[in-house]
Amino acid sequence: MADEHTTAGGPPVQEPLIETPSSEGRLTRFYDHIRREWQIYLMLLPTIIWFLVFLYKPMYGLQIAFKDYSIFRGVAGSPWVGFEHFETLFSNDQFLRAIGNTIKISALNLIFGFPAPIILALMFNEVLHASYKRTAQTIVYLPHFISSVIIAGIVITAFSPTAGIVNTVMGWFGLDPVYFLTQPQWFRPIFVGTGIWQEAGFGSIVFLAAIAGVNPSLYESAVVDGANRWQMMWKITIPSILPTILIMLIIRIGNVMEVSFELVILLYQPATYETADVVNTWIYRQGLQSGQYDLAAAGGLFNAFVAFVLVMTANTLSRRFSRTSLW
Amino acid sequence: MSGVNLSGIVKAYGAVQVVHGIDLDIAEKEFVVLVGPSGCGKSTTLRMIAGLEEITAGDLTIGDRRMNRVAPKDRDVAMVFQNYALYPHLNVADNMAFGLRIRKMPKAEIKTTISEVAEILGLTEYLDRRPADLSGGQRQRVAMGRAIVRHPKVFLFDEPLSNLDAKLRTQMRAEIKRLHNRLGVTSVYVTHDQVEAMTLADRIVVMNNGSIEQIGTPMELFNNPANTFVAGFLGSPPMNQLKGTLTESGAKVGETEIKLNGSVATQAGRDVIVGIRPEHVTLTAGEKTTALPISLDLVEPLGSEALLHGHFGKDSLVFKTETGGDINHLSGVGEVHVNASLVKLFDAETGHALSLGA
Repeated sequence: MADEHTTAGGPPVQEPLIETPSSEGRLTRFYDHIRREWQIYLMLLPTIIWFLVFLYKPMYGLQIAFKDYSIFRGVAGSPWVGFEHFETLFSNDQFLRAIGNTIKISALNLIFGFPAPIILALMFNEVLHASYKRTAQTIVYLPHFISSVIIAGIVITAFSPTAGIVNTVMGWFGLDPVYFLTQPQWFRPIFVGTGIWQEAGFGSIVFLAAIAGVNPSLYESAVVDGANRWQMMWKITIPSILPTILIMLIIRIGNVMEVSFELVILLYQPATYETADVVNTWIYRQGLQSGQYDLAAAGGLFNAFVAFVLVMTANTLSRRFSRTSLW
Repeated sequence: MSGVNLSGIVKAYGAVQVVHGIDLDIAEKEFVVLVGPSGCGKSTTLRMIAGLEEITAGDLTIGDRRMNRVAPKDRDVAMVFQNYALYPHLNVADNMAFGLRIRKMPKAEIKTTISEVAEILGLTEYLDRRPADLSGGQRQRVAMGRAIVRHPKVFLFDEPLSNLDAKLRTQMRAEIKRLHNRLGVTSVYVTHDQVEAMTLADRIVVMNNGSIEQIGTPMELFNNPANTFVAGFLGSPPMNQLKGTLTESGAKVGETEIKLNGSVATQAGRDVIVGIRPEHVTLTAGEKTTALPISLDLVEPLGSEALLHGHFGKDSLVFKTETGGDINHLSGVGEVHVNASLVKLFDAETGHALSLGA
């Protein structure tokens, strides 16, 4: 019996400490990997195709931002004009105003709209009555599933000077009716408020999931240590979901230039362009309504470039200061 | 006074009762271990002492105060959790200071307390690290540190070592024992590991199905288990249990009559369970021993000792014997010799221990 366990003597085989695979070896390994895991790659394929068709192929058309584009000559046939369209853009008051509006609306969205789902999730977390919690959650999730057209219809009706509930309530207090949607100073609060109403509930799901992932014994330990619910929220829940908050913030910052285009289109009117016209609506009017595709493409490219710089910066800052980042 | 008294403690979730009226008196400075299999109600009992679970019925007293309705923070207990429950976003010092800050202890005092406790636990150089940057053993120490800094009346440990590897567990076990000797704080410790229970406890409480099976010192429980459950739970490997019948002069198991150290003549014919601890046999016959024939299946060497796995009829048995540095001679073992004075008897129906008449 014992003999079976005795290892045969002999010089130990020298193995290199660090394997340096040849490029051919790497390729073989890659094919082996694909052969082994082909089901996973097959599932990934539709997403890759979607990205290629809808996001990468259209990038070919981006070159018209640097061309004097004519639909008769096509993308390839139109002559190059360098940065001419960008010069036009930055000497156009309406475009500059649209950038300003985009930044202002986004800033308001970030200040008021970003914390809203977090606060909502924290509040839901404190609700102990299960059926009350479920009902409340369903109610706040609902607006997300309503089309923006209907949301805009509700808002327009609610703020109507004749039949709107807002003016009716104001009337009870003897106030004169206000036609909110024609007054530039009211556009941003109404727009940001509508966005919060529509999306805060649904957005809270991510944070509720993060809260559900917090180790329950952290709370139990804190209870034994004497913490109350408020202290537990500040000292355990919020720090525990901070990585999720930061990731969501990075994504949000990346979308700063993408103010909800359709809701703006549906709610604004020439009287409120002064505060409501954002880069995307300006591009829409220039590109599709006035047929200046090259100028609109330049505007869109600028928008994308700013968003890219913002998301890279936010990611780098987050990684440096909180060890949390998207990539 | 910081003893803990449980009187008729019941825990029920709706109609399901999980702890059935426990009575337990823990003296001041005593180290009591609640041990039992998963689902026996030991953790629930501990959590009721901590105040994390409501007590359905019965009375809990810590010191002289009835604690049933007292909030956890006012019970003056500190708890160490199985998964350490360290705040991942705080460093070691802040983790330990958490409870003290909540209690609004002055900053200077917190600092002094933490450095004292960190010194005791060997954590001084890790105070600035976050839990993610610590090893399992270090995290466990921080969790204990967080309990110690509070200077509570009672420490509650909920399987604190079960996430550690075997070597570290042995090391931490010794540290917990040393700490208890040094601090002298009443401690209630929950584990499913009988080795931990035996090594740490002043007294062990063996629980099963929401009730206490036996309370006693480790050696009392080992030498005189109250029933087959305790006999099978404590000891590694557990006690061998063979069905048998009492005769005029001993206990008949299969064709073998095992000699007993006492008179059972009056009870002849009674069905019993004969309990033989794995280490209570010899390979050579002696005075008052009975040869028990076994068919050997396997020899497991443990170094100085070896485990002999075998069969007696249909029953699987395990015995422990010294190797003397060699196991070759063990492969031919065909019988073991059972010492009459060490055989335990239990009633076959109730499982309760039977005492032998002189």
